[in-house]
This record gives sequence, C-alpha cells and structure tokens, in this order.
Amino acid sequence: MGLADHFPALIIVVMFISAFLSPLLYRWAEKVSSYFVTASLLTAFVFSVALLVQVQQSGPVLYYMGGWPPPWGIELRADPLRVYILIVVISVSLWIFLYALRDLKHELKKTVIGWYYSLYSILVGSMAGIALTNDLFNLFVLMEICAISACAIISIKEDRECLEASFKYLILSAMGTGCFLLGVAMLYMATGYLNYSFIQVELAEAIIHYPLNIFTAAALFIAAFGTKAALFPLHVWLPDAHASAPTPSSAMLSGLVIKIYAFALFLMFYQVFPKTMLDTIPLNEIILWMAALGTMFGSIYAMIQTDLKKMLAYSSIGQISYIFMGIGFHHDLALVGGFYHIMVHAVTKALLFMTAGVIIYSTGVRKISDLAGIGRVLPLAMLAFTIGSASMIGIPGTGGLISKWYLALSALEIGRPFFVLVILASSLLNAIYYMPIVINAFMHQEDFQHDVRTVPLFMQVSLLVGMVFIIISGFFSRPVVSLLEQAASLLF
Amino acid sequence: MEMLSGIIDNYYYMVAIILFVIGMYTMLTHANMIKKVIAMNIMDTSVFLMFVAIGYTHGAQAPIIKEGADTIYANPLPGALILTGIVVAVSVTAYALSLIVKIYRYYGTCDYDEICEIRSQE
Repeated sequence: MGLADHFPALIIVVMFISAFLSPLLYRWAEKVSSYFVTASLLTAFVFSVALLVQVQQSGPVLYYMGGWPPPWGIELRADPLRVYILIVVISVSLWIFLYALRDLKHELKKTVIGWYYSLYSILVGSMAGIALTNDLFNLFVLMEICAISACAIISIKEDRECLEASFKYLILSAMGTGCFLLGVAMLYMATGYLNYSFIQVELAEAIIHYPLNIFTAAALFIAAFGTKAALFPLHVWLPDAHASAPTPSSAMLSGLVIKIYAFALFLMFYQVFPKTMLDTIPLNEIILWMAALGTMFGSIYAMIQTDLKKMLAYSSIGQISYIFMGIGFHHDLALVGGFYHIMVHAVTKALLFMTAGVIIYSTGVRKISDLAGIGRVLPLAMLAFTIGSASMIGIPGTGGLISKWYLALSALEIGRPFFVLVILASSLLNAIYYMPIVINAFMHQEDFQHDVRTVPLFMQVSLLVGMVFIIISGFFSRPVVSLLEQAASLLF
Repeated sequence: MEMLSGIIDNYYYMVAIILFVIGMYTMLTHANMIKKVIAMNIMDTSVFLMFVAIGYTHGAQAPIIKEGADTIYANPLPGALILTGIVVAVSVTAYALSLIVKIYRYYGTCDYDEICEIRSQE
C-alpha cells in the first residue's frame, strides 16, 4: 500500500500531530510553531484535494483503521459529499488561521498562544474525523473532542463573559452528546452494529420488530445534533459563546463547527436510517418547521442587538436554518442549495467576524451605533462587510444567492410555495439589520469619533481573500454545484 | 399484564432511563454549577449502564474462549466502548470543574442566579 491509500486517516493524523507538537515548538521558537501549524493545514488540504480526485476517479473510498474490516474495525468512508465537507472545513480553517496569526497577539496572553494552536489543530482534526467516519461510536468520541476543544478556544481568553459562555456551551453540548449516546445504545440494541452501512441494512429489517426503539433513537438524534448545531429552539448557548470568544474562534465556531453537526445529522438521516423510515415518519417535516422558525427568529433577535459580534452570532442561527431547510426538503435540489450554503456561509460569516475583529483591533469599537462614518477610515474592512452582508441577504453576484435560489427552486418543485415566502421574508429581515450598518458606515455626515490604528497587512490580505471568494462563488458556481448534484444523485 | 412483565424483565433499562431523565432535569434546571456537573455525570453514567446492560446475557461467562467447552459468552464490545466513554466523561468533568474554579474567582459564587444578579447590578 502506498501513501495514497492512507489519505483518509492521514488527514486526521496530520492535524493531531500538529496539535501535540505546536505548543512544544512554540516554547522553543514562536515563528516556527505558527509555520508548522500552517504547513500541517496545507498538507491536510493537499491530501483532501487528492482524496477528492481519487473519489472522482474510482468511486467512494473505504478505509479500514488498523486493517480491521467492519463491523469489527472502525471504517472511514470518503464519498463526494463527505470530501466536499472535508475540503470546506480544511480550506476555511487554513484561511482563518492565517488571520489568527496576527489577531491572536492582541487578544490573548502571549503564553497561551501555543496552546491555542494546539486546540485549533485538534478542532480541525476532529471535524475532519466527523466528516469522514463511518462508525457511530467513533463519531461520539470525535464529537466530544470537538466539543471540548470548541469550548476551550472560547474560554482561553479567560475573561468573565468567555468563561460563563463556554460553561453554558459545555453543559448544553454535554446534554447533546448524552442524548446521542443513548440513541446509539438504542440502535445497537436493535441491530448489534455500530457501522453506518451495516446498521442501515439491518434496520430495514429491524424497524418492523422494534419500531419504538428506532423512533426514540431518531428523536434523540434530532435533539442531540439540534442542540449542537443551534437549530432554532435549542440555540440558547450560541449567542454568548460566539460573541464573547476571540475573533478567530468566533469565525471558526460560527463558520464551521455548527455546520459539521448539521452534516452529521444529515448522515444519520440518509446513511444510518433506512430509506423507508423517512417516508413513514415525518422527521424531515420536523426539521423543516424548526428551520423555518429559525430563519425568522434568528433575524428578529439579530435586529435588536446593539453589539456587533452578538448580532453576527444571532444571524448565524438564521443562516444555519437554511442548511437544515436543505436537509428537510428531502429533495436533490434542496440538498445542493443547503450544502452550497455550508460553503458560502462558512466563508461569509468568517469574513464578517474577521471584519468585526479588524474593527475592534483598530478602533476598539464594538457597539453598532458607534460605527457611523467608519467607512471612511477603514474602507477595506467596510467593503468586506458590505460584500459579506450582500451575500447574507442574497444579492445577485454573491454566493448567498445561489444557495437560496436552489432552496427556493426545490420548494416550488415539491409544491410548497409557502417556504419560498419564508426564504424571501428572511432575506428581507437580513437586509433590515445588515444594510443600516453599511449605509451608516459610508454615508454618515460626521466624521468617525474614535482613534484608529493601522490594520496589519496579514489581516487586510485575509479580508481580501474572503471578498474575492464570495464574488467568485456567486459567478462561477458550476463546478461545486455539479459535484453536489453528482453526490445527491447517489443518495436519492 | 404483558407490558408489566416486559418492564419487570427489562428493569435495568428502566433504571437507566429514569437516571437519564433525573440527570438531564437537574442539569437543565439547577442553578448551582457543581450540581450541574454532578447531574451531567449521572446522565452519562446512566447511558453507560444501559450500554453495558445490552451486552449482558443471563448465565453467560466472560468472553475468554476455552477450547472444547460449550458455554455462552457475554458480548464484550459494550464494555470496551464504555471504557472509552468513561474516559471522555472524566475529561469533560475535569474541564467543567476547572471552568467553575475560574468563574468562582471572578464572582465568589457557584450559583448561576447569583451571577446573573451580580451582572445585572453592574
């Protein structure tokens, strides 16, 4: 076996090696440590692109950990959809890391930055694992690793809000994993397997004998992943956690972490539960209505916020709901829309949080009302904010339109025009709270009131990268959409 | 009657579920943070109990295979999984407790309601 056969495992291993070595290297030489983490992220990125090529050429790649075939061993599975998520996770976290290199120096104490690199690598590694694993118990372990490292990159700042927010997040996500493990126990009781594919085959039979077990498991999974992905009524932890964290952590949590759980729920629906089950009980319908409420209430809550980062955090609740809508429609076009939104929102929300970080770095302003006239002193940052807002609203020429377009199209296709109205109304609500900031920043009569520090080149470059990407994703969506269509055709 | 005997036969599952609900209820409703962490542990333990109970077979032996003997073996997999689960639960508990220590240093209390009161006075 050559190196190429081991890509699925190597992507995870590279990130964990980087997690263990970066604090040591940081102690020895700070610069080397940051280069090392960047290099590992780049390596993981190259591996995942190579994995995509493999998957495109020869179909899904199955990897047996330690050479043990399932159902005994742990299996990693790379199909087009999972590799797509993997590439999104790794490329966005590489981009956020480049921003973090400069930003962390003013947000954290110098001694903990090495540990931050370590936690960051663990987080990326565990998310890559969640995207690839094909084993329920392995998923549980990776989810706990992901939850602890996600809480830790909030609490590492050690001020009061961060500690409280991460405690709240930890408790609710512990509830989530508790529910998940109980669900796994139910499925294990009914089937005797932990591997997704084996469970799916076995459940088609078992659902006749033990329907209650399996329905309970489905309900527990919705509660578990709903809490972790901040699906509307279970979102209470999100605003505090995402708003108080250091900026790179906010970008990471809002951009990627909540989405990976939405993706895990999707995998449960389509790769664990048998196809007949989704037709007999209205799981998708539940998700759909919760998502529809989420798009509305997320935006309404965002409107009444006075703190910029808190507003962005509430906006995430609205946006994650689009992804759940994509799952809930149970249609291939909706899947394309929802999964395109995973990529677009990951970039857009990370860009908006970075902009907020740049504003805080250079002026110290956090309140929305103090931002008046800032467009003239920080033109690049506010241009990034404008493009990010445009993508959130779904203005043509940005990636946000493409995903909403596909979602609306599929709502019409399955004959439920009501949800087109929901999508339109929530876009308008988005416009109501994003546009005044942009307009105020550029058109305000008086000059900006606060002192301004020059923004480091690294931060400006990362903002530029985000802006360019959003525009590209708005005009050249074809390659990604055709990849997703291919993936969807495998599922339906 | 059939349902009652079903419950009596599977009482260990019922105990696990009751513990789970107690843990979850306490975790979400109690204001004291230490109690929340204890409840979290009760909840985790109940799931572990349930998992281990799945692997139990009446009259079975530990799965160490003896040549020629015709015995029933218990399922070893749940036990092995739960060992991992316990390690995970311990690390989450340690992290949660360390957060509580830090929060206590800022506010001088472990009670969530009191913290909210202190924050609203500022």
